[in-house]
Amino acid sequence: MTQNLPEIPDTLVNVDVIGYSNFLVNTGATGTKFLKEIRDNKKIMGIKCPSCGKVYVPPRLHCPTCFARMSEWVKLSGKGSLTSYTVVRYEEPYLPKQPPFAYGIIQMDSADTGMAHFLGEVDLDKIKIGMRLEPVFKEEREGSILDIDYFKPSS
Amino acid sequence: MTTEQKQDPEFIQFRYPRDVTYHHALGYQSKFANGLKQGRILATKCPVDGRCTIPPRIVCPMHHVRQTEWVDQGQRGRLISAFKINFPMFNSRTGELQTWENPIIAVELEGGARMDGWCMETDTSKLKTGMLLEAVWRPEEERQGRADDIMYWKPIEE
Amino acid sequence: MAERIAIVGVGQTHHKSKRPDVTTAEMCAEAVERCLEDAQMSMKDIDNIIMGSFEVADGYYSPDKWIIPELGAVGKSGLEMQNVGTTGGVVAATGFNIAATGLFDAVLCLAWQKMDEAAGAFGRGGGGTNEYWTGQFPMSPITNFARRAYAYMDRSGCTEEHFAMVRVKQDQCAMKNEYAQLKLGLTLEQVMNDALLAWPIRRLHMCPTTAGAAACIVCPEEKAKKVTNKPVWVEDWFTCHQGGSLTMAEDPTSSTLAYASHLVYKRNGITNPPKDIQAWEVYEPASPAELRWIEEVGLCEDYTAWKLFEQNKVGIDKEIPFNPSGGVTATNPIGATPVVRLVEAVLQVRGDAGEHQIPGTINRALATGYGGQGENVIMLLRKTL
Repeated sequence: MTQNLPEIPDTLVNVDVIGYSNFLVNTGATGTKFLKEIRDNKKIMGIKCPSCGKVYVPPRLHCPTCFARMSEWVKLSGKGSLTSYTVVRYEEPYLPKQPPFAYGIIQMDSADTGMAHFLGEVDLDKIKIGMRLEPVFKEEREGSILDIDYFKPSS
Repeated sequence: MTTEQKQDPEFIQFRYPRDVTYHHALGYQSKFANGLKQGRILATKCPVDGRCTIPPRIVCPMHHVRQTEWVDQGQRGRLISAFKINFPMFNSRTGELQTWENPIIAVELEGGARMDGWCMETDTSKLKTGMLLEAVWRPEEERQGRADDIMYWKPIEE
Repeated sequence: MAERIAIVGVGQTHHKSKRPDVTTAEMCAEAVERCLEDAQMSMKDIDNIIMGSFEVADGYYSPDKWIIPELGAVGKSGLEMQNVGTTGGVVAATGFNIAATGLFDAVLCLAWQKMDEAAGAFGRGGGGTNEYWTGQFPMSPITNFARRAYAYMDRSGCTEEHFAMVRVKQDQCAMKNEYAQLKLGLTLEQVMNDALLAWPIRRLHMCPTTAGAAACIVCPEEKAKKVTNKPVWVEDWFTCHQGGSLTMAEDPTSSTLAYASHLVYKRNGITNPPKDIQAWEVYEPASPAELRWIEEVGLCEDYTAWKLFEQNKVGIDKEIPFNPSGGVTATNPIGATPVVRLVEAVLQVRGDAGEHQIPGTINRALATGYGGQGENVIMLLRKTL
């Protein structure tokens, strides 16, 4: 396409656009209770649907199938089985750990859903689906899911 | 069951600061940015009604025709509107709260297009819609092809 | 041929500045619970969900993946949408479109915003997030309405006192609405002396930041008549996203509201809006904007609305029942705000608005959504077909 004003170049320009944000995330009453039990009592809690009886970990306020409000808390042993995992070997900003590290889905005993977390104290080449796991808590806990340092193989 | 949850004195909250850099292509509008580097303000002109617009566009938003003609809008314009920010505002480029002394104005250029700019006069009571303004540019070596290459619009006598 | 459609249930949260007790998804569920209760339906009856918020102001991307399970709605058909301030408007309009196909029995429209989590998201709120064109000057809704208000004063001859009158009227309405956020008992002096943000916009003139959600259920005619004995019919709707291109180049005070509302009037045989429409819920992000919007929807001549306030003609039980809910300057969960307007309009038509009910029969109500640099969504409701 021909353009007039030939003295001004048509060279394509790209501009760098910086977006900065600082969002707040509320965990709400349900999330707060879950995180406080981890922080204060080293306990992992589930929540039970009054309609279908499923136990959810992490907890949520409404059952995803029944839309029933849930308020019955269930104490879990913390032990569970690995249902899937991967080993992260790439680096990018905002990763919570230095690679390589393993994380997986852990199905807690007495719960119906899996929870994602890191795997530790384990040879990355010897992780197996179905292996038994238990949580290792941090010494300094601040009310975060990362107060659980990782899950380790349980005897 | 629609009652809200009982208020707990402590609710756990997180913050997550992020900054992300995107590389946006100006495409057809690149000529506008290149013009600013030379101290000129360019707009596209609609072949149907002759209206010049900034931001320039490859297609007229009203008539859906290609706008191949670029028009130099001159160095002067008239004030359409002005406002001054009286509160510290979040700067999305830095993440800091910032205050600004100069009013932000909309200017109708001699060529008919309109654009935003900073006003050199900081006293808003001295601003009148329709008053004549002239572009004050940054030194050529500091220009980046952005609208703030025009440092200020300076009120001038008729 | 499209189905005729009706709104059979509405619900909203009690809007607040902060909701640390719930997550975004839990807040949405609260509005949906109330909406289902109002319609006397359960989630099993819903077969399509249209949802959305102004994502940039929430900080969550693809929030549907997270909210749908919280609604117990896994596996249902639906869409997630985003369109700045008009988000709730496009959510509702899309819900109307989908219900009008007759392919679904009950479409749930849900919109929300949790602005207590959005600190610092608004540095770039001017007219979208095209940084090169809108980000070079510190623009925001505040500065956008400051320049509109300044140009309005210049053209109409009104003063800051008239803006304060509008704000006091809005507060008087909000005081009667249990769901409204700001209920301040304002006087003219308080507004006139309030902190200046960007002249002539004072803090009280500007919509607050709100955490809230709102929802409605839309059904095709046959289903609607089975579900409820007071359906509110959706007569027409129109989304107008031409922004500044359409009118603002000529008139910096105007939006697309005049164009969009008159287009809807024309195709529905409305020739005398003040007479044909009995309730108005028009999205005014700032008090001075309400003056221009009253003119744009055809309630009076251009640049004269301030005289109506001088003559005390605007209010719930007055000649012009404009924004009986208290409006957006009292409550603004941005993405949800157009649905909050729609909820209020539905309550007005049904006669269920309680203390802020407009007296007399409401045959028609008009609700709108506003966003960005003058985009509008028009929603026209009717009591009977």
